[in-house]
Amino acid sequence: MHIAVLAKVVPDYLVPSMDFELSNNRAHERFSRMLGLYDENAIETAIQIKEKTSGSLTLISYGSENDIQFLRKGAAMGADQLILVKGTSDDAAVIAGNLVTALQSIDNVDLVLAGQQSADMDRGVVPGILAQMLGVPFIPQIGYVDHENGSWTVTQITAQGKRELEFSGPGVLSITSIPENVPRIPAVRAIFAAKKKPVIKLESTDQKKMALNELEVAIPKIECVCEFIDVEDPGQAVRILLNRLNEERYL
Amino acid sequence: MKTLIIENIDLKKIGELKTVSRYFCELPDIIALGEGDIPGNYGKAWQSSQTLPPNLLPSIVQLAKLENYEVILLSVSTLGTGLAGPLSAALSAPVVTEVTAIHSDMVIERPIYGGKAIIKQKIESTPVVLTIRRKYFEPEVLEGHTSSIPLNIESEKVQLISEKNEQTDGVPLEDAPVVVSGGRGIGNADNFSLLQTLADQMNGAVGASRGAVDEGWASPTRQIGQTGKIVAPSVYFAVGVSGASQHLAGIANSKCVVAINKDEEANIFNRARFGLVCDYQKIIPQLTQAIKENR
Ligand SMILES: Cc1cc2nc3c(=O)[nH]c(=O)nc-3n(C[C@H](O)[C@H](O)[C@H](O)COP(=O)(O)OP(=O)(O)OC[C@H]3O[C@@H](n4cnc5c(N)ncnc54)[C@H](O)[C@@H]3O)c2cc1C
Ligand SMILES: Nc1ncnc2c1ncn2[C@@H]1O[C@H](COP(=O)(O)O)[C@@H](O)[C@H]1O
Repeated sequence: MHIAVLAKVVPDYLVPSMDFELSNNRAHERFSRMLGLYDENAIETAIQIKEKTSGSLTLISYGSENDIQFLRKGAAMGADQLILVKGTSDDAAVIAGNLVTALQSIDNVDLVLAGQQSADMDRGVVPGILAQMLGVPFIPQIGYVDHENGSWTVTQITAQGKRELEFSGPGVLSITSIPENVPRIPAVRAIFAAKKKPVIKLESTDQKKMALNELEVAIPKIECVCEFIDVEDPGQAVRILLNRLNEERYL
Repeated sequence: MKTLIIENIDLKKIGELKTVSRYFCELPDIIALGEGDIPGNYGKAWQSSQTLPPNLLPSIVQLAKLENYEVILLSVSTLGTGLAGPLSAALSAPVVTEVTAIHSDMVIERPIYGGKAIIKQKIESTPVVLTIRRKYFEPEVLEGHTSSIPLNIESEKVQLISEKNEQTDGVPLEDAPVVVSGGRGIGNADNFSLLQTLADQMNGAVGASRGAVDEGWASPTRQIGQTGKIVAPSVYFAVGVSGASQHLAGIANSKCVVAINKDEEANIFNRARFGLVCDYQKIIPQLTQAIKENR
């Protein structure tokens, strides 16, 4: 069993809005970089499948060479090798096309996992485009993945609950977070071992861009002034709060 | 512009997409999924009981090409997200997801960086595929019904084995006038019931942050935020929630946010109208009691 996970290195997604800053219409380069949050859920899911099926796991990323140090966290978690396609585009079709090239450079991938959304572009569209390019089904918002009798059984987390789906052959899944795929914290030994795992670097290939013209990126103004209520006497505090909510007709 | 809505039979979701369709055309066509009558008026209507995107895709692609649709509208949902990427690739169409505003000249807006920035893009060619973030467009009231032609489904690549919807007593989270949300600061699953008791007093519903969902204290169906539900209540109580931008993305249209957090530096206070800096256990039972007494 060979699983591939698409993982992207992104600027720190926990920077609070007040501190957020742009340069050249993108997050300022002073923010530290890290693996996307949902991409880590995808890696964790893949490692669990790998452990169950004695398979192997390749991490694939499109980005800069500088990202390799952060991708190594995935190797420390349990990926066997990394493939980096060197490129700088934010265009979803260009990214998907380049990730397809990387996937085609390795043999027999049985399943491709991605994060539900990248933690910078927040769009959830790259894995669906990639699936169509490969001609295989794409299913988003997957929590659990199982392999039984040659087919995949997956659980999709929906707005109302969940549904269990089955398909055979390769497919592309985007992974959402559930308590069971909270990313493991790699042991120090694993972090050292990860430094020796193979990293394959590929040049990017020409891909057709989407017909979208970026006009502007702006930081929205937050205009909210918090009225702090003294909590010394909790009974009094809740009375003041309820009065204020009623006065301003929120309740 | 020739516009196609693809959506499950759901008054609010179709209503929102119908509102969005006004930016592009007078009367859109629709592919409605699921059982029952198709609410509202459309140029043409197709219907299928199939709701799984990989199974629907070939028929939708064929129809989109045949009818030359210029705009395809979906919601941000398992259906919309499942179709958007594959449709874009199959139709060589640009795709923009999580759209929150539409301007003239095919200029659209969407948030990036967890809502910390907004990107404006101009769509330079059609067809285009858009997914619309919930609660950003007032749903059109759908009157009457439109009769439909069945949409042919040729093969089933993916099989539905089972589907389980959670039973929710009381008001649905998305429509609740008051939402009480708990985060990782709640500390354990049992204490979540304190929030339910408070919500019950106000005809409200309980929500959660991803932190609380990851801990297994709340079901994923309760998650509020960019990758959870979008809510717009009159009052949103954020209890033990740090206020990450991706969480705030789900409450942008809430009228009043009340934050209860023991860290006065927590980001939630930058979005809150009222703030109480303390251990929530000191406040929530008192608040529940006071509301009970006020009745
Ligand atoms: C692409 C992407 C999408 C995401 N989508 C979502 C989403 O849809 N929804 C979402 O919620 N998150 C989302 N996140 C995750 C988000 O970034 C945060 O990690 C998450 O919201 C944190 O949850 P939390 O506030 O419960 O936990 P924490 O950040 O751990 O905060 C806990 C808070 O509780 C307070 N606290 C602790 N004890 C007490 C006490 N006794 N009384 C009062 N306060 C206390 C602490 O001071 C702290 O502020 C997303 C992230 C990414 C990258
Ligand atoms: N540059 C990239 N390199 C590797 N994987 C990516 C890249 N961009 C997107 N992905 C994958 O696709 C998912 C969704 O990305 P997006 O469509 O940008 O929200 C991410 O969570 C990743 O798993």
